[in-house]
Amino acid sequence: MLTSFRFHRGPRMSTIWLPPTPRQVPPLQVDPGEIRAFAADLLAAAAQVDDLGTFAAGDARIADWHALAATSYRESIGPLGRRADALSLALRSVSRRADAHADAMAALVERRTTLLEERIHLFDAIQVLSARAHVATETEVPLVRAECDDCRRRVEGFEHDLTAWSGDLAAEEIAMREAFDRVLRLEQVQRRYGGVADPADAALTAMPGPGAGPGAVNAWWDALTHEHQQAVIAAAPGAIGNRDGIPPWARDAANHVALDRDLADWEYLEQRGLLTAGEEEMLENARSTRDAIDTIESGIDPVTREPVSSQLYLYDPAAFDRDGAVAVAAGNLDTADNVSVVVPGFGTEGESAPYQAERALTLYESSRFLATTETNASMFWIGYDAPDNMPWDEGWDSAGVVTEDMATHGGERLADTLDGLRDSRDGDPAHLTAIGHSYGSTTTGHAAQDHGIPVDDLVFVGSPGVGGETANAGDTGVDTDHVWAGANSRDPIANLGNHGWIHGETVFGAGLGDDPAEDDFGANRFRAESTTRADDGVGLDAFDDHSKYFDHDTESLYNISQIVNGNYAAVEHAEPVHDPFYAGVQDPEFDRGPTAADTDGK
Amino acid sequence: MEVVPLSVGRVSRSWDEQALDVSAAAGQLGAAPTGGFTNAVEGVAARFTSAWERHTTGLAGEAESCADRLRAVMADYMSTDQGVGADLLRLTGYLWEQR
Repeated sequence: MLTSFRFHRGPRMSTIWLPPTPRQVPPLQVDPGEIRAFAADLLAAAAQVDDLGTFAAGDARIADWHALAATSYRESIGPLGRRADALSLALRSVSRRADAHADAMAALVERRTTLLEERIHLFDAIQVLSARAHVATETEVPLVRAECDDCRRRVEGFEHDLTAWSGDLAAEEIAMREAFDRVLRLEQVQRRYGGVADPADAALTAMPGPGAGPGAVNAWWDALTHEHQQAVIAAAPGAIGNRDGIPPWARDAANHVALDRDLADWEYLEQRGLLTAGEEEMLENARSTRDAIDTIESGIDPVTREPVSSQLYLYDPAAFDRDGAVAVAAGNLDTADNVSVVVPGFGTEGESAPYQAERALTLYESSRFLATTETNASMFWIGYDAPDNMPWDEGWDSAGVVTEDMATHGGERLADTLDGLRDSRDGDPAHLTAIGHSYGSTTTGHAAQDHGIPVDDLVFVGSPGVGGETANAGDTGVDTDHVWAGANSRDPIANLGNHGWIHGETVFGAGLGDDPAEDDFGANRFRAESTTRADDGVGLDAFDDHSKYFDHDTESLYNISQIVNGNYAAVEHAEPVHDPFYAGVQDPEFDRGPTAADTDGK
Repeated sequence: MEVVPLSVGRVSRSWDEQALDVSAAAGQLGAAPTGGFTNAVEGVAARFTSAWERHTTGLAGEAESCADRLRAVMADYMSTDQGVGADLLRLTGYLWEQR
């Protein structure tokens, strides 16, 4: 492009200096997500190496062995343990630097995009000025010159920004290379980290004991410096990953360390044919957890069009005799305006995590779609030992003998979880909703009735009963205006609860309590029919209706989402079930034609 | 004679477990993805992961050596004990006057 343009107009010659063409923005090939995965691998390996150091300093010393050989043995393992500690600290430091590098590179990618856009604008502007200069009259020359001067200043600004960007990129690359080079050799590791106290040790010593409540745990965590918090996450992920009162972001970070470590460990054993049967079960739970995270992160936020973020709130592949415990949220539990916790029921265990993740994702998508200015987080919670049997797999008898024991124990855990979510939250409290589905509604009912739960709304869907001691909505301890029930008229499980005066758990010794959709219970029943519901309430097809409450474009998901968002005026109410003494159970929803709601804009 | 308690056996197994765990960590480091870095960093990152795979593999080997050492102590103790048992049996014959 011409840098100046001279022309004659009559006896005088005028010159217009065009602004210089801005430099090209250099290419940048980088993947911050992949760098974060690299950092996560280092952190998981650091945790494993740290375990060796802890072992060498503790149990490995064999306190009850008194012999000359014992003394010599102890003297030999001391240096080994200290070396492991130093290696772990070094790995952690590189991992942290790599994480910071990923953030810095993501910011540099964004800055580059801005520079590219600015360059295109400038290039176009210079072309326009060049064209105008060609045809400018003598009287227009001053104006064109002024605009060229203005554009030149913008080009100078762009060049300054581009130089700064290139400098920052080079500095960041040098800093990352130095972080690797500093601890490349064992002598360097020993010189830098040998004998250095692990910041995690002092922090963990002050950690509240097992009996402490979420509030005390949260106070301990908040009192730690950021450095101490990061050290605890890396050195002792198991100590905080599932501890109520620890903020979700930290639980997520710690549980990812534990998950990555477990997968590396058990897959290593699997490849060598050394996996025990128990480890095999735990490996399956770990893989299911990873799949659940992938399921959620494969979703697209309907508002931002970005991939949905996840948080691994609970991860214990050995829990409940290796059935496993896991909870993953779609969205950010630390900051979301509306937080919902879905408690699943029959047939749920660690390996069900991907399936439950789909439900958390549809609820997230729907609640975001229906309130685009609100932020949301939806979590599925497999945090209790649920009945393994499913009536549609194993027949009615298996459901008939289910009792409330598991729901009673699960209710206590759920109440602790909800307390932890409340206590660990800084800033404005979330609008919190607990949603119990199937046997999960019995568990949720027990959490509410037995312990009290700090929720704004309580939702039961497809409930076989909400616990024998919960006779009406008021017994939950939640304001009855905020106790909700959804029951598909074809769902046979939702028809298992007590109706009228007959109480299964007291008369027959089995049963799960009252139907929350019945008029006597006093909850707000909302519409929960599906356009694909079974023709009648009998046969195996009807069991499918028990699993449609979280499907997109159903009345159920629409109404649950409106409750989660606190948009109560939009909830579509339904007439409750009633059980007159002169006839069987009557469900007014049975004959109503179901409607198709839009929950995702598709 | 110096007694070797059962805990020595248990700890030898734990050293085996530690060796396996750290070997897994070594594999994880060796396979850590370096492709996300820029060209200017990727080479150093790859050198780092291969060096650290070696460091941690060495650590795992040392843990395994600890297990082997404890097993050797137990084997030594058991063979000594068996020898003592045989001597005791032979001595038993001298506890009474023969004539």
